[in-house]
Amino acid sequence: MCRKTLRKPTRRELLWEIGGGLAGLALAQMEAKAAPKGTHHTPKAEHLIMISLPGGISHIDTFDYKPELARNHGKETQGANTIKPFFGKRGTVMKSPWEFKQYGQSGQWVSDMLPHLAKRVDDITFLHGMVSRSNAHGPAIFQMSTGFIFQGFPSVGSWISYGLGPGNENLPSFVVLPDARGLPPCGVANWGNGFLPAAHQGVIFGEEKTPIADLRPPASISEAEQAATYDLLTELNEEHLKQNPGEDALVARIKAYQLAARMQVTAPEVTSIAGETEATKASYGLNDPVTRPFGYNCLLARRLVEKGVRCVQLFNGGHFGAPRVNWDAHEDLVANHSKNARVLDQPVAALLADLKQRGLLSKTLVVFTTEFGRLPISEGLGEGGRDHNPEGYTSFMVGAGLKPGIAFGSTDELGYKAERPITVYDLHATLLHLMGIDHTRLTFYHNGLNRRLTDVHGHVIREILA
Amino acid sequence: MRWILSSFFVLLPALAADAPALLTQKCAKCHGAGALLSDLDVTTRAGLLKGGKHGPAIVPGDSAKSRLYQLVSEGKMPPGGRLDAAELAAIRSWIDAGATMADSSASKAKRSWWAFETPRKTPGFETIDAFLLAKLKEKGLTYNPKADHRTLIRRLYFDLTGLPPNPEDYNQSYEAAVDKLLASPQYGERWGRHWLDVVRFGETDGGEHNFERFNAWPYRDWVIQSINADKPYTDFIREQLAGDILFPQDPKKVAATGFLVAGPWDSVSAVLNKDEALREQARYDELDDMVTTTAHSFLAMTVNCARCHDHKFDPIPTRDYYRMTAFFNAVGFGEREVGTDEARAAREAYLKPLRKQMDGIKARLGDIDDPVRARLLLAKMKAFDQQRAAEPRRIPVNPVFNRNAFQAITAKQFRFVVTGNNGKAAPKLAYVELLPAGKRIDNWTGTAAASADQRQVLTIDLDTPAAVSEIRFASDPVRGSATGSVTVYRLEADGKEVASSMDHVNRNEVDVPSVADEEVVAQLSADIRSKRDAVLAEIRAVQQQMNQAPSVSVLYAAKPRDPEKSYLLERGNVRRKTEELTPGILSAVGGDLPATATSAERRLALANWIADKRNPLTARVMVNRIWQGHFGTGIVGTPSDFGINGDRPSHPELLDHLAIGFMENGWSMKWLHRQIVMTDAYRQTSAMNAKAHAVDAGNRLLWHMPMKRMDAEMLRDSMLAVTGNLSLQGGGPSYLLQKKGGGGSYIYAALNNDGPEVWRRAVYRFVVRGGERIMMDSFDCPDPSVATPQRAVSNTPVQALTMMNHEFVIKQAGLLAKRLESGAATGDARVQRAYALLFGREATASEVARANRFLSKQSLTALCRALFNSNEFLYVP
Repeated sequence: MCRKTLRKPTRRELLWEIGGGLAGLALAQMEAKAAPKGTHHTPKAEHLIMISLPGGISHIDTFDYKPELARNHGKETQGANTIKPFFGKRGTVMKSPWEFKQYGQSGQWVSDMLPHLAKRVDDITFLHGMVSRSNAHGPAIFQMSTGFIFQGFPSVGSWISYGLGPGNENLPSFVVLPDARGLPPCGVANWGNGFLPAAHQGVIFGEEKTPIADLRPPASISEAEQAATYDLLTELNEEHLKQNPGEDALVARIKAYQLAARMQVTAPEVTSIAGETEATKASYGLNDPVTRPFGYNCLLARRLVEKGVRCVQLFNGGHFGAPRVNWDAHEDLVANHSKNARVLDQPVAALLADLKQRGLLSKTLVVFTTEFGRLPISEGLGEGGRDHNPEGYTSFMVGAGLKPGIAFGSTDELGYKAERPITVYDLHATLLHLMGIDHTRLTFYHNGLNRRLTDVHGHVIREILA
Repeated sequence: MRWILSSFFVLLPALAADAPALLTQKCAKCHGAGALLSDLDVTTRAGLLKGGKHGPAIVPGDSAKSRLYQLVSEGKMPPGGRLDAAELAAIRSWIDAGATMADSSASKAKRSWWAFETPRKTPGFETIDAFLLAKLKEKGLTYNPKADHRTLIRRLYFDLTGLPPNPEDYNQSYEAAVDKLLASPQYGERWGRHWLDVVRFGETDGGEHNFERFNAWPYRDWVIQSINADKPYTDFIREQLAGDILFPQDPKKVAATGFLVAGPWDSVSAVLNKDEALREQARYDELDDMVTTTAHSFLAMTVNCARCHDHKFDPIPTRDYYRMTAFFNAVGFGEREVGTDEARAAREAYLKPLRKQMDGIKARLGDIDDPVRARLLLAKMKAFDQQRAAEPRRIPVNPVFNRNAFQAITAKQFRFVVTGNNGKAAPKLAYVELLPAGKRIDNWTGTAAASADQRQVLTIDLDTPAAVSEIRFASDPVRGSATGSVTVYRLEADGKEVASSMDHVNRNEVDVPSVADEEVVAQLSADIRSKRDAVLAEIRAVQQQMNQAPSVSVLYAAKPRDPEKSYLLERGNVRRKTEELTPGILSAVGGDLPATATSAERRLALANWIADKRNPLTARVMVNRIWQGHFGTGIVGTPSDFGINGDRPSHPELLDHLAIGFMENGWSMKWLHRQIVMTDAYRQTSAMNAKAHAVDAGNRLLWHMPMKRMDAEMLRDSMLAVTGNLSLQGGGPSYLLQKKGGGGSYIYAALNNDGPEVWRRAVYRFVVRGGERIMMDSFDCPDPSVATPQRAVSNTPVQALTMMNHEFVIKQAGLLAKRLESGAATGDARVQRAYALLFGREATASEVARANRFLSKQSLTALCRALFNSNEFLYVP
């Protein structure tokens, strides 16, 4: 029963800072209770970067090459392959408008929609034949982010924070970087803590100067006033604690203010990229207005992981509504995916290269996933969009503990149905496994059940493990 | 260690004291009915004696020789984590004592379980304190001393109303305060909020579209008013489950059924989805939500675990689960009108002619506006097209102007095929032009024919083959109406596709020109303009008349729908219906359900079964919730789970005593509150006691009154209260702190709209699911997508930042400073006033001196901000 904790022993000094004695004892006790659940086996990765694509990127136009589409272009699907689109509009088989080629030593297929990512295939472990439990956006995005198709369950990042604790006490353990074009569909529910304590909530990092909401007081309050107020508060609270000795909650709240003060210093240090080289900035596409916002988020993800943040979830794509700012290419696949790919491709490729070059891939896992794939048929006769396909799509992982440069799983000849379905539960079980956690043993009691990220499902995908 | 709410984490609940239950809980998942790993079944004595692949699991009377005990004591089993010392001891002594076990085909039959037993009185025990002191005495402990009057008044105000006392409120006796507070409207607001947590009440749908429920608040008001009126709990139950059946014409009682549909609803899966199986799945999810909430809230039973398999721990077979779904087969989500048939008919009769009149007037407005608008739009579209001339893709398909150029092709026959158009009307085509190098071809004949699959085809035969390089067409350039306008087309030249709607940009991807009313008006002559103004005046007049239609209430509550058949689903799969079922109650609890005919009567029968004195769960569950509200932890630490996986009661006899008293006293919640707040247990101090802490760290025996951090609503309300800005206006539509974005967005942005219009109690805020962060989120205010029978109390750096820097806090600090300044002339008096308002006490001389030192350099507002942040303010003693 290995209960190795990954936290650094900074406790002792903290304990003295707040005066020791009975308060210190209470703190020690409290910390014993609050200790992270810890790993179950030696982890391959200590940090997770999740790149989530709202709307559903088409697998058959990106990574899952299907020559049969061209051969059957314009034909109707029949028999077992008769397709039931979400919006019910009948269509015919539509070939991919993009050219596919093999890349790298591994010779994996990628379309020319993603020329930068194509150069990284030797590091990538593709999962073809993923399946989603729903063909509707709400449930599908909930499953992507929380494992459940219903709203209100803890997100992947929250589970990891709960399981492993913070990697750096001066930063939140779970950071969220929404797309500059807007929050993803279903908004904050994607990084909610559900029934886990609020400490595990995803925290949005925004602008460079005030990355966290309320990190600083409004401009009307001077540094001197802030410091004096903080000092007075500390005095008030310590005196109150003396009158109520042994109350661990009071100690914890004093400590939270100390951590907050440090976060005020640490967070802007992380978000400032002044120290990055021009070459690095250029590689992430920061000099191009189209790629800059997402490129900055990708660069920030690396910086956060470097500083010890456990989980960073990046969204590429915003919410629904008009105009479309995510991958939901119902009307016009070419226009939609071309535009989004421009935003996505270079920054993600740069992130993978940068992580590798800095040796961070040895302790960081990158997971790239989406709501579902898109259908091999057009959405409506003679139209140029593709509807939702929950029966088969592609995700990928990059990082330590994985066989790089391989593709596992497959879809049928048209890319419609998975031949060996890989569930979202499997994906989540595998990422937890790589982080040293047995997905059946990371549990939290809520209303009658010891809840898990993977509900009662999920198998680690052993075939892709190194 | 049992159920403890620590400051950072909620720990896992207690384990069963009795070994068989422990085995079921810890081992049966792999070695039980479902999966007999190693062929071992730990749920029966026979199974343990037979053992698994490695031989017998137990040797009765000899734990040392029992393989099971060896494995668990060495930590090799269970794989989820080593059993603790108490658990090991329980198993050891049980085996040594002979390992007796009631043969528990766990899920198959009714079996002995404390929560299913009828509550019993304990002779010789008359008061709550007698029960509590007896248990403390067993451990050599007793209560803390009685708290001082100030502390008690403060505690009582927060517990009963969620608001701080005013300085003068400390001058009344404790007993007088109890009477006053239980009679105040603020009591129902505080305890109603808890119930709304339990039933996961939200005012948006959640999910992708997340539409608002602007008429859900009557349920919230019904909850608060019912609690204030001390409605017998049995009526509280009946009205929520069947108010629409009992009082179909009373809007307030129908609003009570908002309970059934308070949770999230995925309209996309339920309505829009064209995949029938997934839509049916969505309906079963709706039913699941109703069954789950009913069973959790009133019975503390996790019936939902039996959706896919018989409940692994509690005696709830899958059949019971699906029989419960059948109670709700005529309940849907949505708004409904409530009123008498006459009232509804009167409203309809009043509105019908007005609607017709309105249509006529609007048509006349169209006669004036539409041609002008279409002309302006045409000009804009042409300019737009020109501006984009270099772009490879054409402007969006629109009613007034479309152009599509292509590589010149020579052909004799062209076909313009329309495969999609707006609305249900037939496709409209006002003109089609073919252009060879800018010159129009006039000498062609066209025939339009609708083929079998209703595609509209315009066939164009040229006299002689010609080179064509562009097509232009419009559906309605005169009025610009979108109805029937072409959206999807292709052009074929001698059977070969040369152009199609795919060549156009999608509407969503560019800013398509539009024409505003002002632009139209600017084009009109003075004469026409005044004519138009007259039409607008007519529209306003009719609208005003329509607004005065006799009203019927519109409520978001249980919405009637055609009853559907109920089936038992194998493993919860809608494709595997095995047997049609009629409604039924939990077989383990038992009781009668009259055979009735209609869906409505059945739902009422369910309500009556739950609200029956003979139901062993109902009274206990509510008593426990109220106990938890006062002491922080319930007698049962898992308030919505009285099953085997839940906590065991710390004081089972006391729970029974109170449940019986509750029933005997007319199911009165106020009676129960009074019993609790008058105890010595409630009136002791919250001081820590190292000795008692060592024995009972979780305070389950109540050797002290726990300090409680204000919850999110209390914190917001209290800050407003001490600044003197809290409006006590109760009820009515909710105020918004988050609002849905425009332009088809489904995201709720935080409004940051601090001001008197939102300074009502937090229970009246519009509760958004998945909205952008607001201040209360940092203080464990739950998103109402799942039920929250017990709030977490967490303590995070982000929370500290919120409290220090959030605009709301800073603004209220400023307002408090103003209040202090206007009420007291000197610095000392202001500090005293602040301490009286925030802490209900006098400041000591050294506290005043410290404050003055601070004020010599900093503002009074800064002082107020520090005080708001202090633990003394946030923690209720």
